[in-house]
Amino acid sequence: MFLIVVGYTMVYGIIVLEPDPVAMEPSAPTVELTPFERDVLEGGRGPVPARVMRTVVSYAEALRAERLVEITGDGHFVITYALPGIAPSMAMLEELVAAGLKTCRPFTLDPLPPLDFENWFLEPEQVEKLGKMYRDQALYMEHMSSLGLQAPDACTCTPYLPQVGNVPRRGDILAWSESACVAFANSVVGARSNRNGAIMDLLCNIVGRVPLSGLLTDEGRKATRRIEVATESLPSPQLLGAAIGRHVIADVPFITGLDRRLEPTGARSTLDYLHEMGAAAATAGAVGLFHVEGITPEAIDDGEGVLLAGYDTYRIDDEVLHELEVGFPVPWGEDGVAPHKCFVGCPHLSLEQLRWWAEAILAGLGERGIGRVRVPTTLAAAPGVLRAFEESTALAGRLREAGVRVSPGCAMQVFDDDLSAGEAIITNSSKLRTYTHARYFRDEEIVRIVVEGNV
Amino acid sequence: MARTWQGRPVLAGDIEGEAAVSRRGFNTYASFFTSIHVPSGSAVCADSGNADLYGVDLAGRILCVPKTTGSTSSGAVWLRLVTLGNAPAAVLFSEQIDPPAAGGLVVADIWSGSRIVTIDRLGVEFLETVRSGDRVEVRSDGTVIVAA
Repeated sequence: MFLIVVGYTMVYGIIVLEPDPVAMEPSAPTVELTPFERDVLEGGRGPVPARVMRTVVSYAEALRAERLVEITGDGHFVITYALPGIAPSMAMLEELVAAGLKTCRPFTLDPLPPLDFENWFLEPEQVEKLGKMYRDQALYMEHMSSLGLQAPDACTCTPYLPQVGNVPRRGDILAWSESACVAFANSVVGARSNRNGAIMDLLCNIVGRVPLSGLLTDEGRKATRRIEVATESLPSPQLLGAAIGRHVIADVPFITGLDRRLEPTGARSTLDYLHEMGAAAATAGAVGLFHVEGITPEAIDDGEGVLLAGYDTYRIDDEVLHELEVGFPVPWGEDGVAPHKCFVGCPHLSLEQLRWWAEAILAGLGERGIGRVRVPTTLAAAPGVLRAFEESTALAGRLREAGVRVSPGCAMQVFDDDLSAGEAIITNSSKLRTYTHARYFRDEEIVRIVVEGNV
Repeated sequence: MARTWQGRPVLAGDIEGEAAVSRRGFNTYASFFTSIHVPSGSAVCADSGNADLYGVDLAGRILCVPKTTGSTSSGAVWLRLVTLGNAPAAVLFSEQIDPPAAGGLVVADIWSGSRIVTIDRLGVEFLETVRSGDRVEVRSDGTVIVAA
């Protein structure tokens, strides 16, 4: 099947080229199926399971997997929104539910749509538009419950927090989506998941099988890039992650120099840092796994043994991060402009991060003798984290009085270029900055701006 | 003058069209974020970070990329695009297809009945050679012919 090529000879008007060595390798092998998998595929459990299995097997063929493997951990999926284009269509869900299908284990979902309107400082026309966009959301969530959603509010991009409880074990085979969660589960927990796309995440978990390929294999988890972090102090995880993602794209990096700056493995601050860094790396590139020297489990076990021979090295210092930051698009405004809104919590904040933001904003107000923030601000976290925040500290009430709202929702669905056109939004999230016209600032600068009111 | 390349058919088909080339990772979600909501017939690339394709209508084009990047939400984007009728006609990958793209394109194929022809492993030189606007013919055995 492979062309024919010798140098740059002209043959019937076609220049034939030396074949690419990668393309010369054999085409995808046929996927080896167990009797159970073959029975499902051939319709022994009904037409809808057969269609689901056919989709998963075709996925395996596309990924050149030799076989499927059993999923051993709960699921986490990106498909929370009743919006075709970022979730299954309602017709597809109804077909799955009508066939009585459920996922092999419970699953959690990404953050809820921003239907808690009071927490987003919306104009009436924005509320009306969101209401129309999500008119099917209640029915959609009913279907998700039928399919195996862990709990009605198990919706966050931090499913592994103790307040949520979807905590994989090291070595678990997963079929997760949500790029930030996949990066965290692979890198920090040591579970194994590819970056599965929306819908395929659900279908794999329905048949309980996922193609054995990529980050599920020992070979696929080896690092091919070495990143030396050589900054003067611990860099912003959002900037560092973006720099890493832009450089390695989808490769697996081995990151050195962070273990001097981070608290030991398992410390909440380290977990939060790695979650933010992974989210930014996954957005700027397609990083599904990173190893951090002395911190993440496979790097602790194998040290530089996680690196494949022939790796290259890239040094990230303060100058690299500065150039990256000043190169971010400035979608609106000049210095002195008053932003309309501020959002923090993409990805969702942990309880400790939420407390940090609350204390920082309240301290900023106190220092200036101001009672309320000048920029309407929303902080987002998992429903369980927000409950714990309300129950465990008086900060929640003081934050409300200062004009700051908290939400379990997803900012991506509010601040897109259509719904929030013309609004000047600020954020500390590299991910939100990438997908919307929100403008990025570092954490400390965000605190100053929301308190003082000007960029 | 034409040049011929050989890849692996992931979703085979015979098709011709005009190339739209991204020499860096193609962020599917960022590119089609605004094209999946309204059936406008077009799919203008909305990824301001992609200097090659930002502002280019990708509906019906032969999209040539190394691989895709960004959010895993992109998995559902392909199904939506074929449903709306504004999908690229084909996606040609110079590298091995990545999981979000593979999953999304397979789901679109099996659950909509409309195929986006997909070829991968065309090699680095293919992507260095093909240019936006080139006429491209894709054959079901994975052959790609680029007419400059």
